[in-house]
Amino acid sequence: MNLAKKIVILGNFGVGKTSLIRKFVTDEFSSDYKVTVGVHVLKKDVTINNTTFSLILWDLEGTDNLQKINSAYLSGSHAFIYVYDLKRPYNAIELEDNINFLKSSYNVEILKIVGNKVDLLTKEEFQNIKNQSIQPNFLSSAKTGENIEKLFREIAIELT
Amino acid sequence: MHPIEEKKIDLLKDLLLDEDRLEIDALKLKIKNLEALLNKKENLSKHVDPIITDRLDLFTNEIPTTLGPTITKSLKNEIRNSKDEVVDALFPIIGQMIKKYIQKEFEILSDNINAQIQKRFSIKNWFRKYKSKSTGVKEKDLLIRGLAKTEIQEIFIIEKKSGLLIANYSKSKTIDKDVLSGMLTAIKSFVEDAFNTGKGDLQLIEHGLYKIHLQNFNSYYIAVVIHGVFDSVYQNKLENKLFEFSKIHKPKNNSKDYITKALEKTFTNEFS
Repeated sequence: MNLAKKIVILGNFGVGKTSLIRKFVTDEFSSDYKVTVGVHVLKKDVTINNTTFSLILWDLEGTDNLQKINSAYLSGSHAFIYVYDLKRPYNAIELEDNINFLKSSYNVEILKIVGNKVDLLTKEEFQNIKNQSIQPNFLSSAKTGENIEKLFREIAIELT
Repeated sequence: MHPIEEKKIDLLKDLLLDEDRLEIDALKLKIKNLEALLNKKENLSKHVDPIITDRLDLFTNEIPTTLGPTITKSLKNEIRNSKDEVVDALFPIIGQMIKKYIQKEFEILSDNINAQIQKRFSIKNWFRKYKSKSTGVKEKDLLIRGLAKTEIQEIFIIEKKSGLLIANYSKSKTIDKDVLSGMLTAIKSFVEDAFNTGKGDLQLIEHGLYKIHLQNFNSYYIAVVIHGVFDSVYQNKLENKLFEFSKIHKPKNNSKDYITKALEKTFTNEFS
């Protein structure tokens, strides 16, 4: 049994995909923004019920249109993590289009929607999340590490 | 004073101070000896040298534990803070070393070629001529190929779709094999996508002295990292061997352990 699982992290530019992975893999955070070109692959082992899984994390460069991504990067994935920025104006159409595209084009069992940069929200902005048509599975912060470990552990559990 | 009294006092002095006088004389002698010892270099060094030698030995032995870490730390900091200067200083030396090494290797190669040419009428030579005619590879290429050993450094069997590692065999410990498999797949996909001219596959990546041969199968591909001459004869031989391996061991249907052992058994002679 191959215990290596491919997880692809995707979303728009500058939403914090790389920071999120970096926090999870190396427990580091930097506020300097360095754009990801193409794809960057990282790995982290996670142990669930005495079984160790190697999560192979594909950090894709940001795009507002997922259909532009090289399909080879997405195929064969065990899980997708779609990240969006909670501080930016909520774009329901873009989010809905991208989620529908992923669901219809790739036979992936796990798709997690993550609203990142929760640490920057005001109380009011935080309350407004409840009114969004598509609800995120996790509200995370690459800066504080909030919910990041939980996100990947939940995916690993679902993959068992 | 009366002479008799004076005599008596002297006698009394002798009786009372005789012991002190002896001690003073002994002290005087000791001081004289010490002066001789301190003022004459040869005499002093006889006594002091063994002590200094012992202290120096002790100091030398203790340097690695006491001063070593501090020196290493300082050197590291210096190198880190002045990388450019270090590179500038080392570049000519390293350059010269590489140049000398290449010259030496060329000399060896040249000697070997001469030796082979001199054996013009040997069976090996006739066999090479025949091989050259039958394969279409130039005789000089076959000659060089025979002299420079080609070695496999690593073999990866990677799932095409996901880029996940199916099995790997390598004698060296480089970077993480799973990450490397992913990145290799990403590069392969990118090139094949960028030059979208039909059904072409990326088959070779060259990096410094290394070549990565990529052989595609239906659901996976095999990446072989090679050091040395990689000509069409070797490529053909390797391709046949990989096809044969795939046919016998079916990497998609067997466990990672089984395939890793099979890789080791099949290719062990090809490794450096």
